Amino acid sequence: MTSTLRGTPLGRRGFLRLAGGAAAVTALPAGLAACGGSSGGAGGTLRLVGVADQQKPLDLLTKDYTKAKFTTSYAPTDQVQTSVRTQLGAGSAPDLHVVYPGNGSAMSMAQIAQAGLLADLSDQAWTKKIPENFKPAFQHQGKTFMYSAGASVIGAIYNKKVFQEAGVEPPKTWGEFLEVCDKIKKKGKVPIALGAQTQWVTQLITYALVPSTVYAKNPQFDGQMQAGTASFAQSGWADAFTMYLDLQKRGFFNDNPNGTTFEQQTSMVATGKAAMAIQVSAVLPDFRKAAASPDDLGMFPVPGAEKEADVWIPAGVVVGLGASARGKNRDAAKAFIDHLGQQQNVNRWAEAVACVPLFRDGTSKIDPVLNDFLPYMEGNKAVPFMDQAWPNAEIQPAHFAVVQELLGGKTTIPQALAKLDETYRKK
Amino acid sequence: MASTLRRTPAEPAVRPASAGRRRRRGGFLSPPWWFAAPALAVYALVVLYPSLSGVLYAFTDWNGLGERSFVGLDNFGKLWGDDAARGSLVNTLLLTVAIVLVQNGVGLLLALGVHAKIKSRTVLRVVFFAPAVVSPVMVAFLWKYVYNPAPDAGLNAVLGAVGLGGLRQDWLGDPSLALWSVAGMVIWQFAGYSMVIFLAGLEGVPVELHEAAMIDGAGRFQRFRHVTWPLLAPAVTINVMLSTIGGLKLFDQVYAATNGGPGHASETLSTVLYKQAFVFGNYGYSTAIALVLALFVAAVSLVQIYYLRGREVTS
Repeated sequence: MTSTLRGTPLGRRGFLRLAGGAAAVTALPAGLAACGGSSGGAGGTLRLVGVADQQKPLDLLTKDYTKAKFTTSYAPTDQVQTSVRTQLGAGSAPDLHVVYPGNGSAMSMAQIAQAGLLADLSDQAWTKKIPENFKPAFQHQGKTFMYSAGASVIGAIYNKKVFQEAGVEPPKTWGEFLEVCDKIKKKGKVPIALGAQTQWVTQLITYALVPSTVYAKNPQFDGQMQAGTASFAQSGWADAFTMYLDLQKRGFFNDNPNGTTFEQQTSMVATGKAAMAIQVSAVLPDFRKAAASPDDLGMFPVPGAEKEADVWIPAGVVVGLGASARGKNRDAAKAFIDHLGQQQNVNRWAEAVACVPLFRDGTSKIDPVLNDFLPYMEGNKAVPFMDQAWPNAEIQPAHFAVVQELLGGKTTIPQALAKLDETYRKK
Repeated sequence: MASTLRRTPAEPAVRPASAGRRRRRGGFLSPPWWFAAPALAVYALVVLYPSLSGVLYAFTDWNGLGERSFVGLDNFGKLWGDDAARGSLVNTLLLTVAIVLVQNGVGLLLALGVHAKIKSRTVLRVVFFAPAVVSPVMVAFLWKYVYNPAPDAGLNAVLGAVGLGGLRQDWLGDPSLALWSVAGMVIWQFAGYSMVIFLAGLEGVPVELHEAAMIDGAGRFQRFRHVTWPLLAPAVTINVMLSTIGGLKLFDQVYAATNGGPGHASETLSTVLYKQAFVFGNYGYSTAIALVLALFVAAVSLVQIYYLRGREVTS
């Protein structure tokens, strides 16, 4: 083929070369390109960006709120984190957006608040009712920058029919837990479904055990870590990892947990192929949706100690909402959050995501499957999810990676803990 | 067999000085450039300017939100000592080598197959090329089903059905296999793309040369070795270059299929730079990685162009 344009022949060879040149130029990685965001919300309309977990409660609550109009969008966590953080950096943040409690992730309250990008909510009445032990999740330098409807817990979501067939009851101690798993295994069922290919799932068993192996013995552990007088390696984290791997060695997990996803884990428990999954209560709706009947499923605290009295549980503030400090509609956004802080709205949000309301009155309803967790929360035997107190956003992914490597036999517990300590000390 | 092919001269032929001046004078003001100008302007505005201005961030400690300060070459020093980045570089190179060799090998075989005078060749061309136009993320999700670790699902089920049950694997969950499983899905997706470029090259091989070689008594393999292969050199150049660049930049399939895991087993430079920017909030460091990656891709591409074009021949 030849081109007749101005006498410059373009043969096949020339075309291929040209294409190659163009390809080389476009090889510049996308990471080099500056990312821009869309403009702020149109006048009077609040732009809200949340994660998928927030859609159900926010659809309910924005629909009934008459003082503003909304344009809403929801996406999986990593996508929202990428886009909203970029918009925050570019000065075009949504009026209302997802915020993660405490510190320890790139979209966490402390990280965004210290950059001056979250509106101060401290003058709102509901902030006075935040329980003392949850304040670090909501506050930075004494000011409240995030709204959240309550706390979710990590425990074992279990299939009641499988438990009945195996003739077992929810255990109260670690020894009983192992016995229950053993009996279920002998019945030909998978005792614990683990979808460790989905990275956030990897952390949940450690988080379920660490309150008992670390915080029950040393409630000041987080402070000591910050002061540099404690370490993962020299703490009950080693016990938690040992117990985690012990479950694998005893064959209590499904085959190939590193190749199994959250969705597969959910399906295994919901259909009765597996007896339980150690999960956060916020995903109960996913499990119920996959089950023949929601009543087939229950939840119990994972007993990470040999004595019932020594069992502590993880209870973390659920993903929240913040108002952009620099948005054109900041006051309207803050007013909506104030509205969310009213008891009936806290209750509605909490019911929608099966969490324990941040504060309660006689009208508050708690999902019955969470009843077993309330004594721990009311008895000061509940600690926030570990990452909410971590000083940088790299430790949580490091934890995901070392758990996958432990499950894959590619590292040892001392090496994994050393990696976590090294990452914790990064500035 | 005496070859009738000759190498492309390494140096351009000397032309009268006046001809060169005429071409330069026509240059950017001539009509073909006018046609390209709007696209070039958009490209410069949307790609070149942001990319080049982004280079400045590589020398700062910007976290994507707050103020930034100049840190000189600190980010590059950090990259040198970063185990995760070094590991991802090794993974990236291994992936690239596998992709370049296997994808182009399969692409060439497919091209030779569908170049033959068979009735179904048009359909086959479409079928083999089809995966190349599918979104890489969709391909990754599709292959997550293929790579399902359950013995009665996906690839494992097929292996079991044909009596190769002993080869069943946890394709994406085994740290020693994950990287190669990702390579497999990329090769599946783009082998057809390589095929199309090789087909273009095959269409340009003069039939007369094959006929002459047949008269000389050359067999099928000899004709391929001495006639087809030398004339495919331009297609080889572009295919090797495109697959090298694609391999070095590989992100979508890895991120969607394994997120770099298990552990860091399938981490590539692109996933590391993405995580540094969007997960950890280290935008300055991430841009430094992107800059090094861009320079690395450019250097490898230039070396390839220089080496492979020197081997090209004309009929």
